[in-house]
Amino acid sequence: MISEIDIEHLKDLARVEFGELETGALIHDMSSILDYVATLKEANVENVPEMTHALDMQNIVRSDENIDFTNEVAKEKIDAIIKAFPEKDEAYLKVKAIF
Amino acid sequence: MNILEFHHKLKNQEVSAEDTIASYFGVIKNENLKLNAFLETFSASNGEYDTLSEAQKIDERIKKGEEPGMLCGVPLAIKDNILIKGKRATAASKILENYIASYDATVIEKLKKAGAIFLGRTNMDEFAMGSSTENSAYGPAKNPFHPDYVPGGSSGGSAVAVSSKMAMAALGSDTGGSIRQPASFCGVVGLKPTYGAVSRSGVIAMASSLDQVGPIAQTVDDAEIIFNVIRGKDALDSTSMDELNFSSEILQHTKSVRTIGVPKEYFAEGLDSRIKSVIESIIQQLEKTYEIREIELPHTKYAIACYYIIVPAEVSSNMARFDGIRYGIREKGADLIDVYKKSRGNGLGLEVRRRILLGTYVLSHGYYDAYYARAQKVRMLIKNDFMKAFQDADVIIGPTSPTLPFKIGEKSDDPLAMYLSDIYTIPVNLAGVPAISIPVGSVREDGIDFPVGAQLIAPHFAENRLFEVGKVIEKLNL
Repeated sequence: MISEIDIEHLKDLARVEFGELETGALIHDMSSILDYVATLKEANVENVPEMTHALDMQNIVRSDENIDFTNEVAKEKIDAIIKAFPEKDEAYLKVKAIF
Repeated sequence: MNILEFHHKLKNQEVSAEDTIASYFGVIKNENLKLNAFLETFSASNGEYDTLSEAQKIDERIKKGEEPGMLCGVPLAIKDNILIKGKRATAASKILENYIASYDATVIEKLKKAGAIFLGRTNMDEFAMGSSTENSAYGPAKNPFHPDYVPGGSSGGSAVAVSSKMAMAALGSDTGGSIRQPASFCGVVGLKPTYGAVSRSGVIAMASSLDQVGPIAQTVDDAEIIFNVIRGKDALDSTSMDELNFSSEILQHTKSVRTIGVPKEYFAEGLDSRIKSVIESIIQQLEKTYEIREIELPHTKYAIACYYIIVPAEVSSNMARFDGIRYGIREKGADLIDVYKKSRGNGLGLEVRRRILLGTYVLSHGYYDAYYARAQKVRMLIKNDFMKAFQDADVIIGPTSPTLPFKIGEKSDDPLAMYLSDIYTIPVNLAGVPAISIPVGSVREDGIDFPVGAQLIAPHFAENRLFEVGKVIEKLNL
Protein backbone atom coordinates (compact mmCIF):
# COMPACT_ATOMS: atom_id res chain seq x y z
CA MET A 1 0.00 0.00 0.00
CA ILE A 2 1.36 3.37 -1.01
CA SER A 3 0.98 6.17 1.57
CA GLU A 4 0.21 9.84 1.23
CA ILE A 5 3.74 10.62 2.39
CA ASP A 6 5.15 8.39 -0.38
CA ILE A 7 3.01 10.22 -2.94
CA GLU A 8 4.18 13.65 -1.77
CA HIS A 9 7.83 12.50 -1.91
CA LEU A 10 7.33 11.07 -5.43
CA LYS A 11 5.80 14.34 -6.63
CA ASP A 12 8.97 16.14 -5.53
CA LEU A 13 11.25 13.55 -7.13
CA ALA A 14 9.29 13.63 -10.40
CA ARG A 15 8.88 17.43 -10.29
CA VAL A 16 5.21 17.33 -11.07
CA GLU A 17 2.11 18.80 -9.41
CA PHE A 18 -1.28 17.20 -8.78
CA GLY A 19 -4.45 18.89 -7.56
CA GLU A 20 -6.04 17.95 -4.22
CA LEU A 21 -8.78 15.81 -5.78
CA GLU A 22 -6.28 14.19 -8.14
CA THR A 23 -4.04 13.26 -5.20
CA GLY A 24 -6.89 11.49 -3.41
CA ALA A 25 -7.67 9.35 -6.46
CA LEU A 26 -3.96 8.81 -7.02
CA ILE A 27 -3.46 6.91 -3.76
CA HIS A 28 -6.24 4.51 -4.73
CA ASP A 29 -5.20 4.13 -8.39
CA MET A 30 -1.47 3.73 -7.71
CA SER A 31 -2.21 1.14 -5.02
CA SER A 32 -4.47 -0.93 -7.27
CA ILE A 33 -1.92 -0.80 -10.11
CA LEU A 34 0.94 -1.77 -7.78
CA ASP A 35 -1.14 -4.62 -6.32
CA TYR A 36 -1.78 -5.84 -9.83
CA VAL A 37 1.86 -5.70 -10.99
CA ALA A 38 2.83 -7.59 -7.83
CA THR A 39 1.52 -10.74 -9.60
CA LEU A 40 4.99 -10.88 -11.18
CA LYS A 41 6.22 -12.24 -7.84
CA GLU A 42 4.61 -15.55 -8.81
CA ALA A 43 6.72 -15.89 -11.97
CA ASN A 44 9.73 -18.17 -11.71
CA VAL A 45 12.63 -16.01 -12.92
CA GLU A 46 15.45 -18.13 -11.53
CA ASN A 47 18.44 -18.08 -13.91
CA VAL A 48 16.56 -15.84 -16.35
CA PRO A 49 18.64 -12.87 -17.56
CA GLU A 50 17.14 -9.37 -17.75
CA MET A 51 15.98 -8.52 -21.25
CA THR A 52 17.43 -5.19 -22.20
CA HIS A 53 16.56 -5.13 -25.90
CA ALA A 54 13.99 -6.71 -28.20
CA LEU A 55 16.66 -7.85 -30.67
CA ASP A 56 20.16 -9.16 -30.13
CA MET A 57 22.31 -6.49 -31.64
CA GLN A 58 25.79 -5.08 -31.43
CA ASN A 59 26.59 -1.69 -30.07
CA ILE A 60 26.74 0.94 -32.77
CA VAL A 61 29.34 3.67 -32.82
CA ARG A 62 29.05 6.51 -35.28
CA SER A 63 32.06 7.92 -37.04
CA ASP A 64 33.64 10.91 -35.34
CA GLU A 65 32.96 13.50 -38.01
CA ASN A 66 32.96 17.25 -37.76
CA ILE A 67 29.49 18.65 -38.55
CA ASP A 68 29.32 22.10 -40.12
CA PHE A 69 26.92 24.33 -38.19
CA THR A 70 27.72 27.51 -40.10
CA ASN A 71 25.89 26.80 -43.37
CA GLU A 72 22.39 28.04 -44.24
CA VAL A 73 20.59 24.74 -43.58
CA ALA A 74 22.13 24.46 -40.11
CA LYS A 75 21.38 28.10 -39.39
CA GLU A 76 17.74 27.57 -40.27
CA LYS A 77 17.56 24.63 -37.86
CA ILE A 78 19.22 26.60 -35.08
CA ASP A 79 16.84 29.53 -35.65
CA ALA A 80 13.84 27.19 -35.41
CA ILE A 81 15.11 25.85 -32.08
CA ILE A 82 15.72 29.35 -30.68
CA LYS A 83 12.28 30.44 -31.88
CA ALA A 84 10.76 27.68 -29.73
CA PHE A 85 12.32 29.04 -26.50
CA PRO A 86 9.53 30.04 -24.07
CA GLU A 87 11.60 33.03 -22.84
CA LYS A 88 14.66 34.43 -24.54
CA ASP A 89 17.08 37.29 -24.82
CA GLU A 90 18.18 37.30 -28.47
CA ALA A 91 19.78 33.86 -28.91
CA TYR A 92 19.96 33.16 -25.18
CA LEU A 93 17.47 30.95 -23.32
CA LYS A 94 16.17 32.65 -20.18
CA VAL A 95 15.62 30.54 -17.08
CA LYS A 96 15.18 31.15 -13.34
CA ALA A 97 18.36 31.23 -11.28
CA ILE A 98 19.47 27.72 -10.35
CA PHE A 99 20.76 28.75 -6.91
CA MET B 1 -10.53 4.13 -53.19
CA ASN B 2 -7.49 2.35 -51.79
CA ILE B 3 -3.82 3.04 -52.61
CA LEU B 4 -3.54 0.33 -55.28
CA GLU B 5 -6.70 1.51 -57.08
CA PHE B 6 -5.67 5.16 -56.85
CA HIS B 7 -2.17 4.42 -58.11
CA HIS B 8 -3.58 2.66 -61.15
CA LYS B 9 -5.95 5.53 -61.97
CA LEU B 10 -3.32 8.20 -61.39
CA LYS B 11 -0.90 6.38 -63.69
CA ASN B 12 -3.53 6.21 -66.43
CA GLN B 13 -4.44 9.86 -65.81
CA GLU B 14 -8.03 8.92 -64.95
CA VAL B 15 -7.74 10.98 -61.75
CA SER B 16 -5.51 13.87 -60.75
CA ALA B 17 -3.69 14.21 -57.44
CA GLU B 18 -5.13 17.73 -57.03
CA ASP B 19 -8.77 16.62 -57.40
CA THR B 20 -8.19 13.66 -55.11
CA ILE B 21 -6.69 15.81 -52.35
CA ALA B 22 -9.56 18.29 -52.71
CA SER B 23 -12.14 15.52 -52.42
CA TYR B 24 -10.51 14.26 -49.20
CA PHE B 25 -10.61 17.75 -47.69
CA GLY B 26 -14.31 17.78 -48.63
CA VAL B 27 -14.93 14.57 -46.65
CA ILE B 28 -12.90 15.92 -43.71
CA LYS B 29 -15.01 19.07 -43.68
CA ASN B 30 -18.18 16.98 -43.38
CA GLU B 31 -16.97 14.30 -40.97
CA ASN B 32 -14.31 15.74 -38.71
CA LEU B 33 -16.58 17.94 -36.62
CA LYS B 34 -18.45 14.80 -35.54
CA LEU B 35 -15.49 12.40 -35.18
CA ASN B 36 -12.59 14.67 -34.07
CA ALA B 37 -10.02 12.56 -35.93
CA PHE B 38 -7.85 15.46 -37.13
CA LEU B 39 -6.38 18.04 -34.73
CA GLU B 40 -5.29 20.13 -37.71
CA THR B 41 -5.55 19.84 -41.46
CA PHE B 42 -2.97 21.24 -43.85
CA SER B 43 -5.48 22.50 -46.43
CA ALA B 44 -4.62 26.18 -46.21
CA SER B 45 -1.20 27.01 -47.56
CA ASN B 46 0.50 27.93 -44.33
CA GLY B 47 4.22 27.56 -43.84
CA GLU B 48 6.46 25.60 -46.11
CA TYR B 49 4.25 22.56 -46.61
CA ASP B 50 1.31 23.14 -48.90
CA THR B 51 -0.77 20.13 -49.91
CA LEU B 52 -2.26 21.75 -52.98
CA SER B 53 1.02 22.75 -54.60
CA GLU B 54 2.51 19.33 -53.77
CA ALA B 55 -0.41 17.71 -55.60
CA GLN B 56 -0.11 20.09 -58.56
CA LYS B 57 3.60 19.30 -58.92
CA ILE B 58 2.78 15.57 -59.05
CA ASP B 59 0.09 16.11 -61.71
CA GLU B 60 2.50 18.12 -63.86
CA ARG B 61 5.16 15.42 -63.64
CA ILE B 62 2.67 12.74 -64.67
CA LYS B 63 1.47 14.86 -67.59
CA LYS B 64 5.06 15.05 -68.77
CA GLY B 65 5.10 11.25 -68.88
CA GLU B 66 6.75 10.45 -65.57
CA GLU B 67 5.74 7.09 -64.05
CA PRO B 68 4.40 7.75 -60.53
CA GLY B 69 5.65 5.70 -57.58
CA MET B 70 3.23 3.66 -55.49
CA LEU B 71 2.69 6.41 -52.90
CA CYS B 72 2.79 9.34 -55.31
CA GLY B 73 -0.11 11.70 -54.56
CA VAL B 74 -1.48 9.40 -51.84
CA PRO B 75 -3.28 11.46 -49.15
CA LEU B 76 -2.14 10.33 -45.70
CA ALA B 77 -3.09 11.23 -42.12
CA ILE B 78 -0.20 11.45 -39.65
CA LYS B 79 -0.40 10.75 -35.92
CA ASP B 80 0.42 13.88 -33.94
CA ASN B 81 3.54 12.39 -32.31
CA ILE B 82 5.41 12.21 -35.64
CA LEU B 83 7.29 15.39 -36.62
CA ILE B 84 6.62 17.20 -39.90
CA LYS B 85 9.01 20.12 -40.37
CA GLY B 86 7.32 23.50 -39.94
CA LYS B 87 4.11 21.95 -38.60
CA ARG B 88 2.81 21.83 -35.07
CA ALA B 89 3.40 18.53 -33.23
CA THR B 90 1.62 18.33 -29.89
CA ALA B 91 1.30 14.59 -29.14
CA ALA B 92 -2.23 15.73 -28.12
CA SER B 93 -0.73 17.42 -25.06
CA LYS B 94 -1.26 20.93 -23.76
CA ILE B 95 2.42 21.26 -22.89
CA LEU B 96 3.30 21.14 -26.63
CA GLU B 97 0.34 23.16 -27.93
CA ASN B 98 2.65 25.79 -29.48
CA TYR B 99 5.51 23.46 -30.49
CA ILE B 100 6.55 23.59 -34.16
CA ALA B 101 8.74 20.74 -35.45
CA SER B 102 12.17 21.91 -36.59
CA TYR B 103 12.85 18.77 -38.66
CA ASP B 104 11.13 15.86 -40.39
CA ALA B 105 10.90 12.45 -38.75
CA THR B 106 12.76 9.88 -40.88
CA VAL B 107 9.45 8.21 -41.81
CA ILE B 108 8.11 11.58 -42.99
CA GLU B 109 11.26 12.24 -45.03
CA LYS B 110 10.84 8.85 -46.71
CA LEU B 111 7.13 9.40 -47.41
CA LYS B 112 7.84 12.88 -48.84
CA LYS B 113 10.43 11.40 -51.19
CA ALA B 114 7.85 8.81 -52.26
CA GLY B 115 5.43 11.66 -53.14
CA ALA B 116 2.86 11.06 -50.39
CA ILE B 117 0.78 14.05 -49.34
CA PHE B 118 -0.01 14.78 -45.68
CA LEU B 119 -3.58 15.88 -45.05
CA GLY B 120 -3.07 16.73 -41.40
CA ARG B 121 -2.16 15.51 -37.95
CA THR B 122 -4.44 13.15 -36.08
CA ASN B 123 -5.85 12.93 -32.57
CA MET B 124 -4.38 10.48 -30.07
CA ASP B 125 -4.11 9.72 -26.38
CA GLU B 126 -1.69 12.27 -24.90
CA PHE B 127 1.88 11.10 -25.63
CA ALA B 128 0.30 7.81 -26.82
CA MET B 129 -0.69 6.84 -23.28
CA GLY B 130 -4.11 5.23 -23.48
CA SER B 131 -6.30 2.75 -25.33
CA SER B 132 -9.29 4.90 -26.28
CA THR B 133 -8.12 8.37 -27.48
CA GLU B 134 -10.04 9.79 -24.51
CA ASN B 135 -6.77 11.05 -22.96
CA SER B 136 -6.35 13.73 -25.64
CA ALA B 137 -6.07 17.31 -24.37
CA TYR B 138 -8.13 18.27 -27.44
CA GLY B 139 -11.19 16.09 -26.76
CA PRO B 140 -11.81 12.42 -27.59
CA ALA B 141 -12.00 11.03 -31.12
CA LYS B 142 -15.21 9.12 -31.84
CA ASN B 143 -15.84 5.68 -33.29
CA PRO B 144 -17.16 6.03 -36.88
CA PHE B 145 -19.60 3.14 -36.30
CA HIS B 146 -21.24 5.12 -33.48
CA PRO B 147 -20.02 8.41 -32.00
CA ASP B 148 -20.89 7.41 -28.41
CA TYR B 149 -18.18 4.73 -28.54
CA VAL B 150 -14.38 4.98 -28.41
CA PRO B 151 -12.36 4.35 -31.58
CA GLY B 152 -9.61 2.65 -29.57
CA GLY B 153 -6.21 4.16 -29.05
CA SER B 154 -3.78 5.55 -28.82
CA SER B 155 -3.71 6.03 -32.64
CA GLY B 156 -7.49 6.54 -32.61
CA GLY B 157 -7.51 9.60 -34.88
CA SER B 158 -5.52 7.80 -37.58
CA ALA B 159 -7.80 4.74 -37.47
CA VAL B 160 -10.94 6.91 -37.59
CA ALA B 161 -9.56 8.92 -40.51
CA VAL B 162 -8.98 5.78 -42.60
CA SER B 163 -12.21 4.09 -41.56
CA SER B 164 -14.38 7.13 -42.37
CA LYS B 165 -12.59 7.81 -45.68
CA MET B 166 -11.05 11.08 -44.45
CA ALA B 167 -7.65 9.69 -45.49
CA MET B 168 -6.55 6.96 -47.90
CA ALA B 169 -4.19 5.58 -45.23
CA ALA B 170 -2.38 6.80 -42.13
CA LEU B 171 0.61 6.45 -39.85
CA GLY B 172 0.25 5.47 -36.21
CA SER B 173 2.58 4.33 -33.47
CA ASP B 174 2.27 1.19 -31.38
CA THR B 175 3.80 0.64 -27.94
CA GLY B 176 1.32 -1.91 -26.55
CA GLY B 177 -1.34 -2.16 -29.25
CA SER B 178 -1.87 1.48 -30.23
CA ILE B 179 -2.05 0.72 -33.97
CA ARG B 180 -3.72 -2.71 -33.89
CA GLN B 181 -6.45 -2.11 -31.28
CA PRO B 182 -7.89 1.08 -32.90
CA ALA B 183 -7.61 -0.61 -36.32
CA SER B 184 -9.68 -3.46 -34.89
CA PHE B 185 -12.23 -1.08 -33.29
CA CYS B 186 -12.61 0.89 -36.56
CA GLY B 187 -12.62 -2.01 -39.03
CA VAL B 188 -9.33 -1.26 -40.82
CA VAL B 189 -5.89 -2.89 -41.20
CA GLY B 190 -3.11 -1.94 -38.76
CA LEU B 191 0.51 -3.14 -38.80
CA LYS B 192 2.97 -3.02 -35.89
CA PRO B 193 6.33 -3.78 -37.53
CA THR B 194 9.25 -5.65 -35.93
CA TYR B 195 10.94 -3.49 -33.27
CA GLY B 196 13.78 -1.76 -35.15
CA ALA B 197 12.33 -2.29 -38.65
CA VAL B 198 11.20 1.36 -38.85
CA SER B 199 13.22 4.36 -37.63
CA ARG B 200 11.94 6.18 -34.56
CA SER B 201 13.89 9.35 -35.31
CA GLY B 202 11.51 12.29 -35.05
CA VAL B 203 8.82 10.30 -33.27
CA ILE B 204 7.99 11.67 -29.81
CA ALA B 205 9.07 8.83 -27.50
CA MET B 206 6.78 7.12 -25.01
CA ALA B 207 8.55 3.86 -24.08
CA SER B 208 11.60 3.63 -26.31
CA SER B 209 12.21 -0.12 -26.00
CA LEU B 210 8.68 -0.81 -27.29
CA ASP B 211 7.61 2.10 -29.57
CA GLN B 212 7.29 1.38 -33.28
CA VAL B 213 5.71 3.34 -36.16
CA GLY B 214 3.46 1.56 -38.65
CA PRO B 215 0.68 2.00 -41.21
CA ILE B 216 -3.10 1.97 -40.76
CA ALA B 217 -4.73 1.18 -44.10
CA GLN B 218 -7.82 -0.12 -45.88
CA THR B 219 -6.18 -3.29 -47.16
CA VAL B 220 -3.21 -5.56 -46.43
CA ASP B 221 -1.70 -4.58 -49.79
CA ASP B 222 -1.81 -0.90 -48.82
CA ALA B 223 -0.20 -1.57 -45.43
CA GLU B 224 2.56 -3.51 -47.19
CA ILE B 225 3.17 -0.67 -49.68
CA ILE B 226 3.61 1.88 -46.88
CA PHE B 227 5.73 -0.45 -44.76
CA ASN B 228 8.11 -1.04 -47.67
CA VAL B 229 8.63 2.73 -48.01
CA ILE B 230 9.18 3.57 -44.33
CA ARG B 231 11.27 0.57 -43.25
CA GLY B 232 15.05 0.31 -43.06
CA LYS B 233 18.12 1.16 -41.03
CA ASP B 234 18.56 4.83 -40.20
CA ALA B 235 21.76 6.43 -38.92
CA LEU B 236 19.58 8.64 -36.69
CA ASP B 237 18.11 5.67 -34.79
CA SER B 238 20.73 3.30 -33.40
CA THR B 239 18.06 0.67 -32.64
CA SER B 240 16.90 0.53 -36.27
CA MET B 241 18.00 -2.41 -38.34
CA ASP B 242 17.87 -3.89 -41.83
CA GLU B 243 16.33 -7.29 -42.20
CA LEU B 244 19.52 -8.46 -43.92
CA ASN B 245 21.60 -7.75 -40.83
CA PHE B 246 19.35 -9.90 -38.69
CA SER B 247 20.35 -13.52 -38.49
CA SER B 248 17.80 -15.91 -37.15
CA GLU B 249 17.43 -19.64 -37.28
CA ILE B 250 13.69 -19.22 -37.49
CA LEU B 251 13.98 -17.20 -40.70
CA GLN B 252 16.49 -19.57 -42.31
CA HIS B 253 13.65 -21.48 -43.89
CA THR B 254 11.60 -18.52 -45.09
CA LYS B 255 9.23 -20.02 -47.58
CA SER B 256 5.52 -19.73 -47.81
CA VAL B 257 3.48 -20.18 -44.64
CA ARG B 258 2.32 -23.73 -43.92
CA THR B 259 1.39 -23.83 -40.25
CA ILE B 260 -0.70 -21.44 -38.18
CA GLY B 261 -0.55 -21.58 -34.40
CA VAL B 262 -3.53 -20.91 -32.14
CA PRO B 263 -2.50 -19.94 -28.59
CA LYS B 264 -5.01 -21.31 -26.11
CA GLU B 265 -4.19 -18.44 -23.72
CA TYR B 266 -5.70 -15.99 -26.26
CA PHE B 267 -9.08 -17.75 -26.12
CA ALA B 268 -9.40 -18.08 -22.36
CA GLU B 269 -11.52 -16.21 -19.80
CA GLY B 270 -11.99 -12.53 -20.52
CA LEU B 271 -12.59 -12.89 -24.26
CA ASP B 272 -16.06 -11.83 -25.45
CA SER B 273 -17.69 -15.10 -26.58
CA ARG B 274 -19.07 -13.42 -29.73
CA ILE B 275 -15.57 -12.29 -30.76
CA LYS B 276 -14.33 -15.78 -29.98
CA SER B 277 -16.76 -17.38 -32.40
CA VAL B 278 -15.89 -14.89 -35.18
CA ILE B 279 -12.18 -15.73 -34.83
CA GLU B 280 -12.87 -19.47 -34.58
CA SER B 281 -14.85 -19.43 -37.81
CA ILE B 282 -11.90 -17.73 -39.54
CA ILE B 283 -9.55 -20.40 -38.22
CA GLN B 284 -11.93 -23.07 -39.52
CA GLN B 285 -11.80 -21.57 -42.99
CA LEU B 286 -8.01 -21.28 -42.86
CA GLU B 287 -7.81 -24.98 -42.08
CA LYS B 288 -8.45 -25.70 -45.77
CA THR B 289 -5.19 -23.96 -46.73
CA TYR B 290 -2.98 -24.32 -43.65
CA GLU B 291 -2.15 -26.79 -40.93
CA ILE B 292 -3.63 -25.42 -37.68
CA ARG B 293 -1.77 -26.25 -34.46
CA GLU B 294 -2.58 -25.43 -30.87
CA ILE B 295 0.37 -23.68 -29.24
CA GLU B 296 1.17 -22.34 -25.79
CA LEU B 297 2.24 -18.88 -24.68
CA PRO B 298 2.24 -19.69 -20.95
CA HIS B 299 3.58 -16.36 -19.67
CA THR B 300 0.82 -14.30 -21.32
CA LYS B 301 -0.79 -13.88 -17.88
CA TYR B 302 2.18 -11.77 -16.74
CA ALA B 303 2.34 -9.54 -19.82
CA ILE B 304 0.24 -6.60 -18.59
CA ALA B 305 1.93 -6.50 -15.18
CA CYS B 306 5.34 -6.63 -16.88
CA TYR B 307 4.33 -3.89 -19.33
CA TYR B 308 3.01 -1.57 -16.60
CA ILE B 309 6.37 -1.62 -14.87
CA ILE B 310 8.57 -1.22 -17.94
CA VAL B 311 6.40 1.44 -19.61
CA PRO B 312 6.08 3.85 -16.64
CA ALA B 313 9.81 3.42 -15.96
CA GLU B 314 10.66 4.47 -19.52
CA VAL B 315 7.94 7.13 -19.51
CA SER B 316 9.31 8.76 -16.35
CA SER B 317 12.67 9.29 -18.04
CA ASN B 318 11.37 10.15 -21.53
CA MET B 319 8.92 12.72 -20.15
CA ALA B 320 11.64 14.49 -18.15
CA ARG B 321 12.38 16.62 -21.23
CA PHE B 322 8.92 18.21 -21.07
CA ASP B 323 9.64 20.76 -18.37
CA GLY B 324 8.76 24.08 -20.03
CA ILE B 325 12.39 25.13 -20.30
CA ARG B 326 13.51 24.84 -23.94
CA TYR B 327 10.15 24.54 -25.73
CA GLY B 328 6.47 24.13 -25.01
CA ILE B 329 4.38 25.95 -22.44
CA ARG B 330 6.23 27.46 -19.45
CA GLU B 331 4.26 28.43 -16.34
CA LYS B 332 5.40 31.15 -13.94
CA GLY B 333 6.88 29.97 -10.65
CA ALA B 334 8.71 31.23 -7.56
CA ASP B 335 11.93 29.39 -8.42
CA LEU B 336 13.22 26.92 -10.99
CA ILE B 337 11.77 23.81 -9.26
CA ASP B 338 8.42 25.57 -8.98
CA VAL B 339 8.53 26.38 -12.72
CA TYR B 340 9.15 22.70 -13.50
CA LYS B 341 6.38 21.49 -11.21
CA LYS B 342 3.78 24.01 -12.42
CA SER B 343 4.64 23.63 -16.12
CA ARG B 344 4.37 19.84 -15.88
CA GLY B 345 1.39 19.93 -13.51
CA ASN B 346 -0.65 22.17 -15.83
CA GLY B 347 0.76 21.01 -19.17
CA LEU B 348 0.55 17.23 -18.74
CA GLY B 349 -2.69 15.28 -18.38
CA LEU B 350 -3.55 13.01 -15.47
CA GLU B 351 -2.63 9.67 -17.11
CA VAL B 352 0.77 11.00 -18.20
CA ARG B 353 1.54 12.33 -14.71
CA ARG B 354 0.29 9.09 -13.13
CA ARG B 355 2.71 7.07 -15.26
CA ILE B 356 5.57 9.45 -14.47
CA LEU B 357 4.91 8.93 -10.76
CA LEU B 358 4.61 5.14 -11.11
CA GLY B 359 7.86 5.02 -13.07
CA THR B 360 9.61 7.17 -10.49
CA TYR B 361 8.38 4.74 -7.83
CA VAL B 362 9.44 1.48 -9.52
CA LEU B 363 12.87 2.88 -10.37
CA SER B 364 13.56 4.34 -6.92
CA HIS B 365 16.29 3.01 -4.69
CA GLY B 366 15.22 -0.14 -2.89
CA TYR B 367 12.44 -0.99 -5.34
CA TYR B 368 14.46 -1.43 -8.55
CA ASP B 369 15.11 -5.17 -8.14
CA ALA B 370 11.60 -5.97 -6.98
CA TYR B 371 9.95 -4.20 -9.89
CA TYR B 372 12.07 -3.19 -12.89
CA ALA B 373 14.70 -5.96 -12.82
CA ARG B 374 12.02 -8.60 -12.28
CA ALA B 375 9.88 -7.20 -15.10
CA GLN B 376 12.85 -7.34 -17.50
CA LYS B 377 13.32 -11.01 -16.59
CA VAL B 378 9.64 -11.78 -17.12
CA ARG B 379 9.90 -9.93 -20.43
CA MET B 380 12.58 -12.45 -21.45
CA LEU B 381 10.22 -15.32 -20.54
CA ILE B 382 7.49 -13.79 -22.71
CA LYS B 383 9.88 -13.40 -25.64
CA ASN B 384 11.07 -17.00 -25.19
CA ASP B 385 7.43 -18.18 -25.32
CA PHE B 386 7.16 -16.70 -28.81
CA MET B 387 10.52 -18.04 -29.97
CA LYS B 388 9.47 -21.52 -28.88
CA ALA B 389 6.01 -21.19 -30.45
CA PHE B 390 7.53 -20.16 -33.80
CA GLN B 391 9.35 -23.48 -33.99
CA ASP B 392 5.93 -25.13 -34.34
CA ALA B 393 4.04 -22.44 -36.20
CA ASP B 394 4.99 -20.02 -39.02
CA VAL B 395 2.34 -17.50 -37.95
CA ILE B 396 0.16 -17.13 -34.85
CA ILE B 397 -3.51 -16.11 -35.00
CA GLY B 398 -5.89 -14.80 -32.34
CA PRO B 399 -8.21 -11.89 -31.56
CA THR B 400 -6.76 -8.35 -31.51
CA SER B 401 -8.93 -7.18 -28.60
CA PRO B 402 -10.88 -9.15 -25.98
CA THR B 403 -13.83 -6.72 -26.18
CA LEU B 404 -15.87 -4.67 -28.62
CA PRO B 405 -15.44 -0.86 -28.58
CA PHE B 406 -16.67 0.47 -25.23
CA LYS B 407 -18.65 3.63 -24.51
CA ILE B 408 -16.82 6.93 -24.08
CA GLY B 409 -16.33 7.45 -20.34
CA GLU B 410 -16.95 3.79 -19.43
CA LYS B 411 -13.37 3.04 -18.37
CA SER B 412 -11.85 6.48 -18.02
CA ASP B 413 -12.06 6.52 -14.20
CA ASP B 414 -10.45 3.11 -13.83
CA PRO B 415 -6.90 3.03 -15.26
CA LEU B 416 -6.41 -0.67 -14.49
CA ALA B 417 -9.57 -1.69 -16.41
CA MET B 418 -8.27 0.34 -19.37
CA TYR B 419 -4.86 -1.39 -19.18
CA LEU B 420 -6.45 -4.86 -19.28
CA SER B 421 -7.98 -4.21 -22.71
CA ASP B 422 -4.54 -4.67 -24.33
CA ILE B 423 -3.92 -8.24 -23.17
CA TYR B 424 -3.39 -9.74 -26.68
CA THR B 425 -1.36 -6.89 -28.15
CA ILE B 426 1.09 -6.10 -25.32
CA PRO B 427 3.02 -9.42 -25.41
CA VAL B 428 3.89 -8.72 -29.07
CA ASN B 429 5.62 -5.42 -28.19
CA LEU B 430 7.44 -7.00 -25.25
CA ALA B 431 8.85 -9.66 -27.60
CA GLY B 432 9.55 -7.12 -30.38
CA VAL B 433 7.86 -9.27 -33.04
CA PRO B 434 5.60 -7.90 -35.82
CA ALA B 435 1.81 -8.24 -35.87
CA ILE B 436 -1.11 -7.08 -37.98
CA SER B 437 -4.81 -6.59 -37.21
CA ILE B 438 -7.23 -7.40 -40.02
CA PRO B 439 -11.01 -6.84 -40.00
CA VAL B 440 -12.71 -10.25 -40.12
CA GLY B 441 -16.36 -9.67 -39.37
CA SER B 442 -18.70 -7.93 -36.99
CA VAL B 443 -20.69 -8.39 -33.81
CA ARG B 444 -24.03 -6.67 -33.25
CA GLU B 445 -24.53 -4.77 -29.99
CA ASP B 446 -27.02 -2.00 -29.15
CA GLY B 447 -28.16 -2.20 -32.76
CA ILE B 448 -24.68 -1.40 -34.08
CA ASP B 449 -22.55 -3.82 -36.11
CA PHE B 450 -19.12 -3.31 -34.55
CA PRO B 451 -16.09 -4.61 -36.45
CA VAL B 452 -13.93 -7.42 -35.09
CA GLY B 453 -10.21 -7.72 -35.83
CA ALA B 454 -8.02 -10.81 -36.01
CA GLN B 455 -4.37 -10.46 -35.06
CA LEU B 456 -1.62 -12.31 -36.92
CA ILE B 457 1.82 -12.48 -35.28
CA ALA B 458 5.08 -13.50 -36.99
CA PRO B 459 8.76 -13.90 -35.98
CA HIS B 460 11.11 -10.88 -36.06
CA PHE B 461 11.41 -9.46 -39.58
CA ALA B 462 8.86 -11.90 -41.04
CA GLU B 463 6.29 -9.23 -41.95
CA ASN B 464 6.04 -10.97 -45.35
CA ARG B 465 4.23 -13.87 -43.61
CA LEU B 466 1.68 -11.44 -42.13
CA PHE B 467 0.99 -9.99 -45.58
CA GLU B 468 0.76 -13.45 -47.14
CA VAL B 469 -1.81 -14.85 -44.68
CA GLY B 470 -3.51 -11.46 -44.35
CA LYS B 471 -4.30 -11.41 -48.06
CA VAL B 472 -5.70 -14.95 -47.83
CA ILE B 473 -7.97 -13.85 -44.96
CA GLU B 474 -9.18 -10.83 -46.95
CA LYS B 475 -10.38 -13.19 -49.70
CA LEU B 476 -12.36 -15.45 -47.36
CA ASN B 477 -16.15 -15.34 -47.30
CA LEU B 478 -16.61 -13.44 -44.06
